[in-house]
Amino acid sequence: MDFGNYLALIAPELLISISGLVLLLVAAWVGDSAARPISILAALVLGVACFMVGPALFDGASGPDTNAFAGQFRADGFAAFAKMLIYLSGIACLMIAPAFFERLGAMRAEYPILILFSVLGTGIMVSSGNLITLYIGLELNSLAAYVLASFLRNDGRSAEAGLKYFILGALASGILLYGMSLVYGFTGTTDFTLIRAAMTLELSTGALFGLIFVLAGLAFKIAAVPFHMWTPDVYEGAPTPVTTFFASAPKVAAVALTVRVSLDAFGLQADAWRQIVIFAALASIVLGALGAIGQDNLKRLLAYSSINNVGFILIGLAAGTPQGASAVLVYLAIYVVMTIGSFVAILMLRDADGNYVENIRDIAGLSRAKPLIALILAGMMLSLAGLPPMFGFWGKFVVFQAAVQADLILLAALGIAASVIGAFYYLKVVKVMFFDEPAGVVQGRSETGHWVLLIGTAIIVSPLGYLLTIPLGLLADRAAVSLSLLP
Amino acid sequence: MIGIEHFIVVSAILFVLGVLGIFLNRKNIIVILMAIELILLAVNINLVAFSAFLGDLTGQIFAMFVLTVAAGEAAIGLAILVIYFRSRGTIAVQDANRMKG
Amino acid sequence: MVDLSQYLPILIFLGIALALSCLFVFLPMGVSRLTGSHNPTAEKLSEYECGFPAFEDPRSQFDVNFYLIAILFIIFDLEAAFLFPWAVSLDLTGWPGWITMMIFLFELIVGFAYAWKKGALEWE
Repeated sequence: MDFGNYLALIAPELLISISGLVLLLVAAWVGDSAARPISILAALVLGVACFMVGPALFDGASGPDTNAFAGQFRADGFAAFAKMLIYLSGIACLMIAPAFFERLGAMRAEYPILILFSVLGTGIMVSSGNLITLYIGLELNSLAAYVLASFLRNDGRSAEAGLKYFILGALASGILLYGMSLVYGFTGTTDFTLIRAAMTLELSTGALFGLIFVLAGLAFKIAAVPFHMWTPDVYEGAPTPVTTFFASAPKVAAVALTVRVSLDAFGLQADAWRQIVIFAALASIVLGALGAIGQDNLKRLLAYSSINNVGFILIGLAAGTPQGASAVLVYLAIYVVMTIGSFVAILMLRDADGNYVENIRDIAGLSRAKPLIALILAGMMLSLAGLPPMFGFWGKFVVFQAAVQADLILLAALGIAASVIGAFYYLKVVKVMFFDEPAGVVQGRSETGHWVLLIGTAIIVSPLGYLLTIPLGLLADRAAVSLSLLP
Repeated sequence: MIGIEHFIVVSAILFVLGVLGIFLNRKNIIVILMAIELILLAVNINLVAFSAFLGDLTGQIFAMFVLTVAAGEAAIGLAILVIYFRSRGTIAVQDANRMKG
Repeated sequence: MVDLSQYLPILIFLGIALALSCLFVFLPMGVSRLTGSHNPTAEKLSEYECGFPAFEDPRSQFDVNFYLIAILFIIFDLEAAFLFPWAVSLDLTGWPGWITMMIFLFELIVGFAYAWKKGALEWE
């Protein structure tokens, strides 16, 4: 393999970084009046990047041909699956932002550029084959995300969200790094394949500590219990398009990264991490469901829902099989659609003064003022809870199936029991929207772009989504196999 | 004679100090930024010590990346702090409570 | 293991330098205190003609511009840390290493141009 081939493998990353730099200069010279054109260009760039990762996704690329730069970067089918989800959610977050920020008079040309750089970082994360690449990708994503969280500079809540996200995110990467330094010290390498080879025998105490610290740092990034406490505050305080982004692209990347690190680098020590993952999964499901009770802010509610859903994703990881990895990918794909749909629906709710409505009390009787939005939001809620007619049920089904086939029957049973607790609160939101006295707060028209996105996601989440189960499962299976899983 | 274990112990102490500094600190957010730097320095001590001990350069390269990224992180942290101060007029930890979790 | 004993001369040198400089500072003060008359007055303790009274509390807050400059300084200063290992190993990395560093520097220049154009370097 020569340099040219390597450059071809990192082509999507090259495209995004170069266009990010060019657009940055455009933003500096033309100013905020160019915010909309730059958003459109950035979305186009991500669209092209989708086409670039397409072949690797559909062929399920795997093997040494996908390794660039001595295994530091892997452009395999697994990475392509995650990147496709990331790019698509990036495009969605670019589509919904201009209308939102313009209404607040805060649209700046830097927003699409920060999204581009954050997406670039997440792409590097999911493609990493080395601890150093992992760290660089993670930080590139996080540093852009900290700025995005505090994007509304004059809003106290946004600044506080940025500050909290920064402090806890920096702590998480510190913990992750400390674990990586121990792993490096006790295995003598930073390459995933070589770490795997060095961990064939029983783990030394130092390496075990390293593994646990790495998993704890990653758990912070995916907001799994007991490292979830930043999520509600950040989701509530950040501007809604940014919250949509946090709940989709970085979450996909962090979960995919966790799967790759657990199954590849630490793949032969599954017994060492399985207990931790099972604990985090069950704790996330239960706390995510219980925490949602009593919340009256919709964004906070969705934050707890994302904690709850991460728990189900971790059940797939706990299986530790290619089938488990495939289930995680299917779940992620469905989860991203559901979460984007729910946040777009919230984004479309405004009161008479044009302020954004986030309180559950204010959407009482929404079915009369905005029947379609109410219907779709209700569908999203039922889907997030995993109730059968909606597509969200399928994600939970494949995850439980993988767990049962890996002889984790007790875990699957506990997971199903716990998902019933969660269903309660989502049903309450549906009840408030359809059966309570109308609060009459929500008014005004919504942008076409929002409607397109909302209806698109609604169709996928609706029972029509089951038409996608076979292609989605096929792609996810291929992607999971390319993870070079050795039983 | 100073061996690798001494370095690991120093770095572990620094790491714990940094983590405690974040959680026990009740006064000033700047102190939290310092604690984060302390954690990253603990990591760097670890990396460089392991690198010298193993006779492998990777650790030192890693430390270099950590160093530069830490600089970027500190810069962004300070910038967010400035924004926060402008909108709130204080950088005391107990005042960061507009949202309750 | 580094042999610390080879640094002993430097330690002795530093010790002597410290002792001598202390002597130079404190000896005249002590001698004048012992020999001269010690009689401070308000006039004597005030600033000389060339100085002027402090007009604000020295513990007051910094101008936020200092923070801005410091933030930019941290970034550009530490990125230069990559230049040292690159420079000493250039004969090993050759043209690919040279081109890579030029790309890296170009990216830094893009960031710098952005900061400049945005007015982050202006004092006002």
